[in-house]
Amino acid sequence: MSELLYIKDLKVYFNTEEGVVKALAGVNFEIVKGSFHGLIGETGCGKSVTGLSILKLLDNNALIEGGEIIYKDENLLDKTEKQMQKDFRGNEIAMIFQDPGSSLNPVFTIQDQIQESVKMYKKASKQEYRNIVIEELKKVKLPDVEGLLDKYPHQLSGGMKQRVMIAMMLACNPNLLIADEPTTALDVSIQAQFLQVLKNLKDKFDMTVLYITHDLAVVSEICDYVSVMYAGRIVENVPVRELFKNPVHPYSYKLVHSVLGVKTFLEDLEEIPGSVPRLIDPPSGCRFHPRCEEAIDICKTKVPQLKKIGKNHYVACHRR
Amino acid sequence: MRLSEVNVEEIKMELANLKNKKSSQLSLVWKRFKSNRLALLGFVFVMIIIFIAIFAPFLTPYKPYATDPSNRLMGPSRTHLLGTDSLGRDVLTRLFYGSRIALQIGVLIILFEGFIGIMMGVLSGFFGGIIDSIIMRLVDILRSFPVIILAMAIAGIMGQGIYNVVIALGIVGWTTYARMVRSKILSIKEADYIEAGYSIGESTYSIITRYIVPNAIPTAIVMISIMMPTALIASATLSFLGLGVQPPIPSWGSMVAAGRNYLLQAPWISTSAGFFIMFTVLGFNFIGDGLRDALDPTTKH
Amino acid sequence: MSNRKKYWTNKIIRTIITAIGVTLIAFLILHLTPGDPARIMLGSYASEENLEAVREKYNLNEPLHIQYWAWVSSLAKGDLGTSIRYNRSVNTLIKNRIGPTLVLTLTGLIISVVLGVVMGILAALKRNSWLDYLTTVQAIFWISIPSFWLGILFLYIFGLQLRWVPIAGMVSYTSVILPALSLGLRQEAWFARPMRAEMLEVLNQEYIRAAKAKGLKYYIVVTKHALRNALIPIITMLALRLPWIIGGSVVIEVVFSWGGIGSLLVNSVKARDYPVVQAILLLISIAVVLANLFADIIYTWVDPRIRTEG
Repeated sequence: MSELLYIKDLKVYFNTEEGVVKALAGVNFEIVKGSFHGLIGETGCGKSVTGLSILKLLDNNALIEGGEIIYKDENLLDKTEKQMQKDFRGNEIAMIFQDPGSSLNPVFTIQDQIQESVKMYKKASKQEYRNIVIEELKKVKLPDVEGLLDKYPHQLSGGMKQRVMIAMMLACNPNLLIADEPTTALDVSIQAQFLQVLKNLKDKFDMTVLYITHDLAVVSEICDYVSVMYAGRIVENVPVRELFKNPVHPYSYKLVHSVLGVKTFLEDLEEIPGSVPRLIDPPSGCRFHPRCEEAIDICKTKVPQLKKIGKNHYVACHRR
Repeated sequence: MRLSEVNVEEIKMELANLKNKKSSQLSLVWKRFKSNRLALLGFVFVMIIIFIAIFAPFLTPYKPYATDPSNRLMGPSRTHLLGTDSLGRDVLTRLFYGSRIALQIGVLIILFEGFIGIMMGVLSGFFGGIIDSIIMRLVDILRSFPVIILAMAIAGIMGQGIYNVVIALGIVGWTTYARMVRSKILSIKEADYIEAGYSIGESTYSIITRYIVPNAIPTAIVMISIMMPTALIASATLSFLGLGVQPPIPSWGSMVAAGRNYLLQAPWISTSAGFFIMFTVLGFNFIGDGLRDALDPTTKH
Repeated sequence: MSNRKKYWTNKIIRTIITAIGVTLIAFLILHLTPGDPARIMLGSYASEENLEAVREKYNLNEPLHIQYWAWVSSLAKGDLGTSIRYNRSVNTLIKNRIGPTLVLTLTGLIISVVLGVVMGILAALKRNSWLDYLTTVQAIFWISIPSFWLGILFLYIFGLQLRWVPIAGMVSYTSVILPALSLGLRQEAWFARPMRAEMLEVLNQEYIRAAKAKGLKYYIVVTKHALRNALIPIITMLALRLPWIIGGSVVIEVVFSWGGIGSLLVNSVKARDYPVVQAILLLISIAVVLANLFADIIYTWVDPRIRTEG
């Protein structure tokens, strides 16, 4: 078993008017080639920042403080912007974003935007491009593909836009697809369809997917491995079955047990007291300690490191 | 529905919090403004011009109207730092006194157009409906004329002089205020705290004085800093064209025009007069720019 | 009625009202001050016969609404009136002068838009660099310089001292450079800063990130994805600035002895040749009104979000 991507001790800070926000304070996980890897955590815990760091598409005020992002034996953090653009973005790693509405350029047609992805590696005639785009749109199971070509994003529904977005990214032929909460903006009924499309595509084209979400139900449905994130750190890396059978970290435990109730979204959890800490002034030691019932003194002072406790199973907790 | 006492207390607390938040926002704005070097520079520029305007008689031994035929078109020297004009008058002295004319016209224009504009804007924004439509159409119509062209025509008919310049420019200028005030009032009308104020039984008067006026003040300050440069340049342009302040009154615009005829022999007349206009306008523009950034930092840092 | 139809009906009605209002203002301007318009035109020393002749010729003895109607009716027939000073048809005067004015304003406009847009884009791309700072400062600088003075400075430096270009009039192609620069540089600021702000706004959009995530080359992301969106609001800016550019050209024409509408206007104002003044006021403002309408049409045409709406 080999890993496609390996993130080691990634630290990302943001300069804001109120001060430095330590959004990522040591993120560690690896993504197995061909797997469906979930990254789960509450809103604001740094999931999206992690995803954007891989492509180095963070906002201007972000600062990558340290760590490594190893993709196919190359450290992406050493690459220049030009190298990232030429060798990695699109053709190796692509990303679909939370809000399909704002991720498609409003002034270009669907065909134009998908065609751009193709043009980067293939010269073809106008008609050939058109056919390729049609093929790409068919892959994501969109109806009436020909009619879509000359439409503009605002003329499509949210679900359709998200599929167009996938088609646009898949047209680049990536090996790794990062999906940043792609179903948040969609209706619940469309979410299931969308996930099915994504899963089929992954299998068919032998891709690896990093799926960022705060929805545990989605994780249980499609992921092979899961990284649980809390306030800028990974607290547990675990195969998905293990997570539901035997969640080790107190945070993971609460997550899993709350999902058995009616509420599935972490935001609505009442079982976990307190809320995500402000990352401008994070708690010392284990960042979860203020909300943890099992916290002891060492939790307040020392940052717990990830340690192996089973096959592909790592946890960062002083009490385990 | 009557509000319970508890609710009233809560809303009062909220409003008090809002006031505190506002004042902390204001101090943040002030902090940003202070740290803006250009804005401070502008402030210094404007202060210098105001100082010159006030103390002009003490800053120069000459009189602005004192001609000296034996010393016509003299180059800059120790006795006449910026030389003399075609009638032998000291250029620097006239420039110093010119700051009085410029600031006077500028302030008068701001007051005149500000008064009409704010009234019209308030009428338009508060009452809406047919009044709003009529005022806004009038604004559309007046804004179809280039300011300087309409002002020229009006000044040409009414004759020259400081007050006619003010009227000619103000007749078009008020439209800018009216638009800004109108949109500001529309947005304030929508705000939650107005409704909150009404819900605990505050009177319209107290709502206007306690919430609307303080909220409109930053807009007003920015408006003045934006309108002052336009007023200064437009009035100088009228004077330059011979349709504004007439010689021998030392206005910068007419001095540039007068110097234009002696550009080869005495370039200092036109260049120095124009420099004074630029210096003053630059000062106001730096301030305005700093204020805008301080009030809306998203466009900059 | 669909939203779109409603919008355009509304827009056209407003444009017509504005156009009518504009004719009213241009007409009423002569009657703004109390006193005899004929005397205003001829000056205080005019003889009673001359005054009466002028009153007769320009219908000044009739009530205002009759006068207005007579003026508008002849306008509708394409007759702009007769100049007092030249005793010639205003149409001819304007026809002879419109060419130079169009050359000057268009050159000035192109300079200001091209310079402004390019500087705005560069400033946004190199945010917080010296270039960005320079763009801001030069923009404030240009809007702080009265254009008549800038024109005189240019004349003095490039015409009188360096003798690179002719100092006045329209003698060769190079003649237009100085006046157009004096006009354009001041207006450039009004495009550079909105362009910068627009560009920064657009560059922050998620679709720019998405375009980068596809692996598109940086210059394609900028010139295609960002620019196309950022330029749309500049169209409105163009229409907004048009009156100022025309107004600026009047002053520039005087400085450079440019034989266009502007200098005709200034001379006519000074000579109290009101039929000419009224006609020019009217022409310019109608041009502005139409430009606004066109800007709106172009705006809806370049923005597919509006264009494809039912």
